[in-house]
Amino acid sequence: MSIIEFLEGPAWKASAAAFLIFAGWRLVVILTAGRRHPGAEPIGSPLLGAVGTTLRHFVPRPAFWRRPKVWFVSLAGYAFHLGLFAVLLFAAPHVAFIRDHILGLEWAALPRWGFIVAAEFAFAGLLTLWVRRFVDPVVRLVSRPDDHIAAGLTFLVMLTGCMALGEQSVALRAIHLGLAELWLVYFPFSSLMHTFTWVFSRAVTGAEAGRRGVHW
Amino acid sequence: MFFGARARQRGTRAPLALGAGLAGLTVVGPALAGAPPKVGPPMQTGPENTLGGLSDSEIWGAIRHEAFGIATSQRPEDGVLIDADGWWWTELRMPSGPLVQGAIWFLLIVILAILLFAIVRGRIRLEGGRAGIRIPRFSLTQRVVHWTVAALFIIMALSGLVILFGRPLLIPVFGHGATSVMASAAMQAHNLMGPVFAVSILTLFATFLPGNLPSQDDIGWILKGGGLFGGHPHAGRYNAGEKAWFWTATLAGVVLSVSGILMLFPDNLAPWVAELAYGFPRARDLLHLAEIGHVVAAVIMIGFALGHIYLGTYGNEGAFEGMVDGTVDLNWAREHHDLWAGEMSGGSAGTGAAAEPAE
Repeated sequence: MSIIEFLEGPAWKASAAAFLIFAGWRLVVILTAGRRHPGAEPIGSPLLGAVGTTLRHFVPRPAFWRRPKVWFVSLAGYAFHLGLFAVLLFAAPHVAFIRDHILGLEWAALPRWGFIVAAEFAFAGLLTLWVRRFVDPVVRLVSRPDDHIAAGLTFLVMLTGCMALGEQSVALRAIHLGLAELWLVYFPFSSLMHTFTWVFSRAVTGAEAGRRGVHW
Repeated sequence: MFFGARARQRGTRAPLALGAGLAGLTVVGPALAGAPPKVGPPMQTGPENTLGGLSDSEIWGAIRHEAFGIATSQRPEDGVLIDADGWWWTELRMPSGPLVQGAIWFLLIVILAILLFAIVRGRIRLEGGRAGIRIPRFSLTQRVVHWTVAALFIIMALSGLVILFGRPLLIPVFGHGATSVMASAAMQAHNLMGPVFAVSILTLFATFLPGNLPSQDDIGWILKGGGLFGGHPHAGRYNAGEKAWFWTATLAGVVLSVSGILMLFPDNLAPWVAELAYGFPRARDLLHLAEIGHVVAAVIMIGFALGHIYLGTYGNEGAFEGMVDGTVDLNWAREHHDLWAGEMSGGSAGTGAAAEPAE
């Protein structure tokens, strides 16, 4: 069995299984943890608070609109996440991989220029946000090694992916796939889980505020 | 000089019909100055008249010397199968040519000069020790921009050097197979990161321009050799060396960006720009210049960056922390940027209040 056969076969299945099992387990633990019921009568609607906060946090609070730093973080964040989302799900090689190894069905892929633009935004966003973790004194203090490992691993997966774009070398594809599998295994145990947990976090915060009558 | 030899041999490109009829192709070629192409009797070996009035060697010889024919494309240069004008460029950029060899030697000399300086001068230490008082030097924006550009520059430089030096340096060590994999990876990364790097260079320029305009103090700093071999000449927020690096990075960055984007879109953008520049859509000439400009600017920028990295990290005690946490020791500022330190001390240096880094 060649390395690429191993990576596309047993290694892929094992890493995908690890991702599904442990990410699912973490989500179940979070959702079933339960919370102590507050004794006070609710003043406002927890549901409205949850929905409102989940949506409102897509843009910075108006009080901070005059601060360029806030816009930098927001725009870089959107550039990275939307770029990565587009590349992950709509890059032609990924669509083909999902068809052949995961779902058995495919959808329209981005044209090459669309892939390039999405990747450029993703790289620019990730790099600037990762650099900020090192040089912003506050963010540096609240950053754990996990944050840097997650950012670094994501960057390496993206970089090796773009290096394999020529599709001329099995070795380059193997490096990219190997790192992507490592990323999948690391995912459930790291801050990368915010991919799924961000909505719970916002909703709970909003629900608690809504219960106290603070909706906006 | 590189244009000369071929151009003189070739003469003008006035179209001249050499003959008609090779599988329906009409070949039109250049009239050599004073010596029109020799058209001899056909060397007929097959069916009658398949070669028209020309032999194979005459037709291919004409093509080899930039004969042009009729192409479906409307662009004149597309009718030229072999661009004889490009030989000077081919000779210039081949692995043993002056461009690649010059780049290798330039970078080797820079590395040796830095090593020699490190051995002779050693680490430039703070003469008065640390004052223990921190003054703000680089804002958060400046640090984010600087390190983003730095990260992109390292990726671009390494991938670019693999592309440039692959044949003369990497193939002898790693062989053709491994080098082709490295070159493919480098080219894809280089092409994809290039536009991001171009934007980052513009951001770097806008962020660091204040303080980097030339001033009278720079003359004294240059005359004293920047204090690299002893002493500390007066300097403001940035000394003349830092300003030289800023402007080199800016100008080289612009050349790299413009030439790189032209090479990214050779079929779409280059002919259009060439028409604007030359008045005719001869994209090949423009792309030759773009590649040469790209290599020269890149090598100069990499050479300068090596010196910048050495002095900004190990070579100059106390400098690196300014770009990490944004502050420097007051004594470092007094020794290396005394005029700026004076300005800061006159205001708020060391008090921690209202001491904002200059933007």
